[in-house]
Amino acid sequence: MEVEDPIAVRRPQRWRTPMDASMNDADVLWLRSREPFANMDAKSFPRSVPLEGVLRNDCRIRRCEPGEIIVREGDYGDSALLVMAGSTNVMVDSLPPAYLGRSSPQKLSWFQSLRQSLRRAVVVESRDPEEVTTNHAASHPSTTIRQVDDRPAIFLQDFNAVLRDHATVELGPGELFGEVAAMYRSPRTATVIAATEATLLEIRWQGLEILRHDKRFADSLDLHYRKHWLNVHLRETPLLRHLPEASLVRVAQATQLRSFGRVEWNADFDRIRTLPAEQQIKSEPVVCEAGRTPTELVIIRSGFGRLSQHHGDSHHTTAYLGKGHIFGLEELAYNSVRPTNTPILSLQNTLRAVGFLDTLMIPSETFATDIMPHVRRSELPARAADLLLQSTEQRLRRNDLGHNTPQTTPASLPETDSGNDTGQPLPQTALLEFIVQSRLNNGRQAMVIDLHRCTRCDDCVKACGDAHNGNPRFVREGLSHERLQVVQACMQCSDPVCMIGCPTGSITRDLDSGVVQIYESICVGCGSCAEACPYDNIRMVEVFDRQGRPYRDLTSDLPIVKATKCDMCSHLPSGPACTAACPHDALVRIDLTESKPLQEWLDLRS
Amino acid sequence: MPLHSFRNRRRIALAATFMALGVMFAIVWVQEGWLADVSLLTGGTLLTCVLLLGLFGMRRRLPMLPMGSASTWTQVHIYMGFFTTGVYWMHVPDLIGNGIFEGALSIIFLLVTASGFYGLYASRTLPKRLTAVEVHHFDRVHWHRGQIADHARQLLEEVSAPVGKPVLANYYTQHLNPFFNSRPPLSYVMVPTGRRRRRLLSGLKNLERSLESEGRGTAGRFAGLVQLRDNLDYQFALQLRLRLWVAFHSMLTLALITGSMIHGLMALGLAG
Repeated sequence: MEVEDPIAVRRPQRWRTPMDASMNDADVLWLRSREPFANMDAKSFPRSVPLEGVLRNDCRIRRCEPGEIIVREGDYGDSALLVMAGSTNVMVDSLPPAYLGRSSPQKLSWFQSLRQSLRRAVVVESRDPEEVTTNHAASHPSTTIRQVDDRPAIFLQDFNAVLRDHATVELGPGELFGEVAAMYRSPRTATVIAATEATLLEIRWQGLEILRHDKRFADSLDLHYRKHWLNVHLRETPLLRHLPEASLVRVAQATQLRSFGRVEWNADFDRIRTLPAEQQIKSEPVVCEAGRTPTELVIIRSGFGRLSQHHGDSHHTTAYLGKGHIFGLEELAYNSVRPTNTPILSLQNTLRAVGFLDTLMIPSETFATDIMPHVRRSELPARAADLLLQSTEQRLRRNDLGHNTPQTTPASLPETDSGNDTGQPLPQTALLEFIVQSRLNNGRQAMVIDLHRCTRCDDCVKACGDAHNGNPRFVREGLSHERLQVVQACMQCSDPVCMIGCPTGSITRDLDSGVVQIYESICVGCGSCAEACPYDNIRMVEVFDRQGRPYRDLTSDLPIVKATKCDMCSHLPSGPACTAACPHDALVRIDLTESKPLQEWLDLRS
Repeated sequence: MPLHSFRNRRRIALAATFMALGVMFAIVWVQEGWLADVSLLTGGTLLTCVLLLGLFGMRRRLPMLPMGSASTWTQVHIYMGFFTTGVYWMHVPDLIGNGIFEGALSIIFLLVTASGFYGLYASRTLPKRLTAVEVHHFDRVHWHRGQIADHARQLLEEVSAPVGKPVLANYYTQHLNPFFNSRPPLSYVMVPTGRRRRRLLSGLKNLERSLESEGRGTAGRFAGLVQLRDNLDYQFALQLRLRLWVAFHSMLTLALITGSMIHGLMALGLAG
């Protein structure tokens, strides 16, 4: 066979694209003179990723003016912020959404809905001035957008009154905030405002990971997480909710925090989605391998996991897991109650990280001593529950015969209704693989069409247009698998990567409804959300007034552009118009983060 | 089987419809036994049903109002349609009414009913046939046709083989060009079959023995385009059928509602 000549290319380098290209040696030196970097041991960093390199490439110095909102509660972020100079205030209570430029859309009444549909705008993407900007003369907003250095920043109008009326905690130089949200992909828990002119160092999560090479820094991060957040996260897990405080403390002490894959999974997604399923599975980091003895209970804190089993020379997907799901429960529960003369049940599935997976790992011994006694039988997988019942009956029989002293057993606890989330397998492997391969398991409100019922009448698209002033927020197109089509409409993702990097926080999740909303009056049209959306479900549109005149920026004369996407018709009394309009039961908004709802929906029509 | 499965829903709805028809039939039978004139009762029920069936069209145009989902309305529409057909038979046992106006109204009713039953059949069977081939938007079919035609022309221009080019060019001019550059014939739109596709593909197959390697490759790519264009026409024909059916059913329903109301007023006038 003829050997072809190799093609010489330059391998991509880490830090080829720094976070801020204007960072220079003087900045790095200045940072090295400040805490915590002054006391960091540069030798503890690998030569390939030196401390100076992290400061130069994974950090950005941000100057904030008094009253500037630095981070907003509910935002997603991929960076932490370290106060270098000045003072910032963390709001203890939630600020009203209007203070952050997020005035909630009002639900329309029947009459208003009817009037809106009858008086639909003739001009596409038309807006009133107050919908386009908060800096409009006619509006009296509580926030305003100003340019600070080269970035848009959002300010509280009456900052002093807000400080007077709300409890705050002051953060000064050397204090870090936002690291939990950055590293564990969770929403920010508080709003932080610059109290004085402040200088902050923004560190992206990759940099934070590298900075953990410094033991003191890593310990302080871990200590902070364990002190403030671990118990909260454990308590949020349904399986652990009946644990007494003492057991929870022991579980927290024994819990290991481990992450797999890459947080910025959406960056690789375009390349990975085209790989055949077997190659994609092979490329995913293995968390636990089938056939091994289970040593930990894995709780998924964020990200996605794939369960697979060997099938010939390859692996077949058997289920997928998401936030809050548990892996290894059946095996650990079985092993902890099995008679001593029966073999150990090894892991039946391999768990892999799909893109990114962040886990809490509880050792099996801790599970057996501190968790298992407090788990309801109804929460256990069937096999373990049966075994538990048998062993309880045997013990009770022995008690009756006077061979044993009475004791509380897990089986004697009252059963409650809660099921645990261990991932529900869908019978069709191909469908599972289609969902995982396309990362549709990120969708909490995916629009799924049954193509065997859809007559292609487009009533759904027309209804969407009627509900949005003549501008449909989706086109009936998307990925298809056999009879199912997942339409390109915003899925209100469980991991909304679109929300990372929005400079004004105009795209945010409504905590009550879970809908990812865009507040257009503070959207600066930068397109970071549309670029970040791995599914291309956000569109940037030029906006016009009701007469069709385009809005233009006063200073640059560039057209005003806004991000638009499906908002689940939050303002309508009928809910999503697309679902309500489908006459043939063909369209549904469905939670794909769990496989159960889709299975049930398919069962209805089988 | 889940309790709310489509199959269970169908069983329950059919049982309810037959029960309602049975009750209606019993009332009419008892009334006739008392020698009462039941035409006002059956006619009034029929008019009410027709008006309620017509409301579905209004619901479809107002999806933003919380009046129940369109799919629930469709279910009610379907089974009320069955019920209405039964009541119509009680009202007009001969199926066609006496008199010119009544006869015309009967024909309209029967046409609406027939188109309704056909619609039910079509909306349950055509989507599966549409899914069997590549999905295309109805509005973009014309654009796709143009793309395929351009691609075919380009393919021919790219052929450089001295022997194959005239053979392919001849076949393209005689058979492929009319196929790619014209709309499908009405007969195909009405009953889409694979006859055109098979004829062209077999023609291309026959050409192969007259072509060298490059020409055979081009013939294969032409065959792919023929398949693509045929799928597109198939989608177009079926989607057009579904759209025309909705338009036909809606227009006739409008005529039926108008005629029924006039007929009702006339009947009330005659009844004094």
